[in-house]
Amino acid sequence: MPASLLKFFVTVSPMAGKHARVIRSATPWLFLAPAVFVYSMFLVGPMLFTLYTSFYEWDGLSDTMIYVGLRNYIDILFNDEVSQLALRNNLLWTAGAVTIPTLLGLLLAVGLNSVSPVKKLLRTLYYMPAVLPLISVGLIWGWMYNPHFGVINVFLRAVGLEQWAGGWLSSYSMALPATFITYVWSHVGFPMMLYLAGLQAIPREQYEAARIDGAGLWSTFRNITLPGLAETHVIVLSLAVFNGFRVFDLIYTMTYGGPGRSTHVLGTWMYFQTFQYYEAGYGAALSWVIAAIVLVVAIPYIRRMSRD
Amino acid sequence: MIASGRERGFMMVSNILLIIFAIVWLMPFVTILLSATRTQGDLISNGVFSIPKSIRWENFVDAWNTGGFTDYFKNSLLLILFKVPLGILIASLAAYPLAKMQFRGRGLIFIFFLIGLAVPVQVTLQPLLVMMKDLGIANSLAALVPPYLAFGLPFQIFVMRGFFRLLPNELLEAARVDGASNTAIFFKIMLPLSLPALATLAIIDTLATWNEFLIALVLISGKASRTVPVGLLQFQGEFSSQYTLLMAGVLISILPVLAVFVFLQKYFVAGLTGGVKG
Amino acid sequence: MKLTQLGTTKLLLGTAASLMMLAANAEAQEKIRFFTIFDATQVELWTPVIEAFEAANPEYEVELETVAGSGAAVYPDVLRTSMASGDPADVFFMWGGSIAQPFIDAGQVKELSAEYDAHGWNDRFPPWIRDRLSSDGKIYGVPYHARGMGIWYRKDMFEEFGLSEPASYEELEGMCQTLADNGKYCASFGGKFGWHTMRLVDYFLEDTCGAEVHDAINARTDTWDQPCVVEAFARLQKWVDNKWLVPDFLTVAPNDARMPMYLGDAAMVYEGPWFERVLAADEQDSSNFEFFLPPTPSGRYHAFPEQWMIPAGAANPTGAAVFVDWITDAENQVNWPATFAGSATIGVTPDCGEQPHGCKWAEILGSDRGTYPPTDQAFSKELIDSFFEAQDSVVAGRMTPEEAAALIQKRVEAAM
Repeated sequence: MPASLLKFFVTVSPMAGKHARVIRSATPWLFLAPAVFVYSMFLVGPMLFTLYTSFYEWDGLSDTMIYVGLRNYIDILFNDEVSQLALRNNLLWTAGAVTIPTLLGLLLAVGLNSVSPVKKLLRTLYYMPAVLPLISVGLIWGWMYNPHFGVINVFLRAVGLEQWAGGWLSSYSMALPATFITYVWSHVGFPMMLYLAGLQAIPREQYEAARIDGAGLWSTFRNITLPGLAETHVIVLSLAVFNGFRVFDLIYTMTYGGPGRSTHVLGTWMYFQTFQYYEAGYGAALSWVIAAIVLVVAIPYIRRMSRD
Repeated sequence: MIASGRERGFMMVSNILLIIFAIVWLMPFVTILLSATRTQGDLISNGVFSIPKSIRWENFVDAWNTGGFTDYFKNSLLLILFKVPLGILIASLAAYPLAKMQFRGRGLIFIFFLIGLAVPVQVTLQPLLVMMKDLGIANSLAALVPPYLAFGLPFQIFVMRGFFRLLPNELLEAARVDGASNTAIFFKIMLPLSLPALATLAIIDTLATWNEFLIALVLISGKASRTVPVGLLQFQGEFSSQYTLLMAGVLISILPVLAVFVFLQKYFVAGLTGGVKG
Repeated sequence: MKLTQLGTTKLLLGTAASLMMLAANAEAQEKIRFFTIFDATQVELWTPVIEAFEAANPEYEVELETVAGSGAAVYPDVLRTSMASGDPADVFFMWGGSIAQPFIDAGQVKELSAEYDAHGWNDRFPPWIRDRLSSDGKIYGVPYHARGMGIWYRKDMFEEFGLSEPASYEELEGMCQTLADNGKYCASFGGKFGWHTMRLVDYFLEDTCGAEVHDAINARTDTWDQPCVVEAFARLQKWVDNKWLVPDFLTVAPNDARMPMYLGDAAMVYEGPWFERVLAADEQDSSNFEFFLPPTPSGRYHAFPEQWMIPAGAANPTGAAVFVDWITDAENQVNWPATFAGSATIGVTPDCGEQPHGCKWAEILGSDRGTYPPTDQAFSKELIDSFFEAQDSVVAGRMTPEEAAALIQKRVEAAM
């Protein structure tokens, strides 16, 4: 019996092999199937629906949709002052998001790269703001920035910087930077964590060799740490670009686009158009402008990351 | 450690700076704590940043009860217990062939997933609500699972793919020679070896799921299926805010995620290494 | 044998009967989805009301759904999405005027003339509220609250600086100057969202333009770039420049605007009847606060209704109408005075001993004294944001009053 079984296997083995090849080419797709299904259905699907509505004038409520071709896109790019202002704010914000939290995150990571319990605690502290629910972030920072009783102004007055005290969030020129400070506060933990992870991947021997060569702190940092983090930079910076262009929550809760319309970004402007002005078609077009910009900026990054 | 005096001085200064900086970082939390443990009258008449006249721990109980947080916590916990492992499993399944198999369209499908990082969540709200209604799960906790999965996938696939690529191919080949199927390789080799990365994703995803506000706000209007961050909203009324209860609620709400973070921190750091190296 | 048989039969019958009862129950227990902006406090106040309704109408089961959040910010967004996706509640809360208009225009809410006749609602509410809720002669909502707005002040500060309620705008200015001379602010506003500052500008407009022109510019039958509008914005600028308003308030949350008053740094805020409840919640001594209607030649004051609406696509419109009838009935409302403070139903007046301010408001709102709407209930949201942009620009000194008036006119024309 075992012999015949063996024979059976031997005889069918070419077929099994062929079959296995077939499986080999279907296997990846079987593994991918759940993700592709969920992702296509609940993210790509809705996005395609908005692509369709972006060519219409539609209030998002009634059944009447008027085809307007590219008019929504043309208005966004050439006629709408607020969307141009929002785009400018997005660019400024992204420039900030790519540099400041990243740099701080790097410094914190280098400073806290140790197993000591104190540094572990400090790491937790720096990451903690990310844990807070949005509604409290808006409220707390609204209080801290409050022109009348806010702790920031009280502090500035106490240390004699009277002229700096003022309505941080109420000023047309300062509101965006002030909101950005909150962003740095709440987002510095993420690059810090990524950099900490990157630091673990740099071989110890390199540092020891440098030490034997008598290299100082700065030259070690410049010649070993920074190059060793090259891959991390790509990730951190690219995520900063993605998130910089998609920023919405923080501005919505902290300034609501104000004062005037000075702090609108594309994300908030899209939300206002869709949910408050009943211009769902226009809002949809705005969201595609956001996605398009991010993709154009990110394509080189995606290429690099998907290379073998 | 051999370090010159100058270097030791530099370290000292940088450590002191790190601690001072951390205290500044903590200020908003101090404000929350101050606000959560006093009476509304005290907070309002004496100013948010004044020292409380008396400590009022009852705020936490009041917030929990008037807010009906038992339900919200139950819902959020259920959501996390169900969604987080499921999402990471789906992402890992997808990351495996992307990292370890040769097939046509591999680069394309990876880019297809990464495009998801460019999509603003708020634009999909209305189509999502229509879909959930058609599926018959609108206004239930189940309605949150598909969009949370979909929006979590791009980042998770990206990280898991990076980590899987670090695992030596020889290990997989040896398993194949021993007759292991791809499924067996995935569950018996890839996943166990990726525990740190899985823990990392679990933390990040728990945090994101626990705090997600916009989708939960729009897809769920009934009290019964509401999650914690949306539940906090009820302390902000049309004409007035119950600041003290809100802040007490905020503190209650961050405790579970903070605990998860502190507990799994060592994995967090080790885990992202893979993604970074990829 | 026989006994057991009987027993079995009984059991079977009993089971069948209870099953039938269950089925009947399931059939009769219609759900009414009730969608509101209630915060935790209001939910507490409404729970016994809903229970009583269910006890009186056992065939219905009310499901309360709430989206709280400050002012007209979050709630309408969620409401709109639920409507657009074809999954509306059966009854929902709404402000009056232009905030409700998009839902009317899109055919999303039910016209209620038939219900008004069937349930006898025509005489239940003051005529001005009914008028305000009508659109092209049709009525789409049932009044919930009648809200007036006025200036609330600290009595102790008025006493300290020898002030009394003003009889004219000029007197009010004089009072502000007195307060400023004594190192105090006259009034505090929260400019985030725009509508809080708007209350002051609206008052200026009523005073400078007069009733007729104010109504005309709100209806956009008259132009905004006329002298009285410019004068209104010039007053806003003056209030800012003279430091009569707590400075740098443009992105302060409206609910935070009252803090400088509680701290004794500002004397007044511009709020409605709800402020009595707010004072209690904020643990302030409400006897130290009083309000007056900002003086105008027309004698009119700021007022707006809040209403219940029934979606055109409601699953249970009949139940919705029964529920709305029950909760707006004076006979039911008197049982829960705290829940129905500020009710729009005629004959529901608060206890003057317990709610002195509410009592005074009820008297004003029930009188035939004229009212004007807040501009955000006269303008579409897109247009009102232009109005807010203009007022913010004046406050920040980025626009002259002339430019602000011209900007609104330009946007009004563009929207026509």
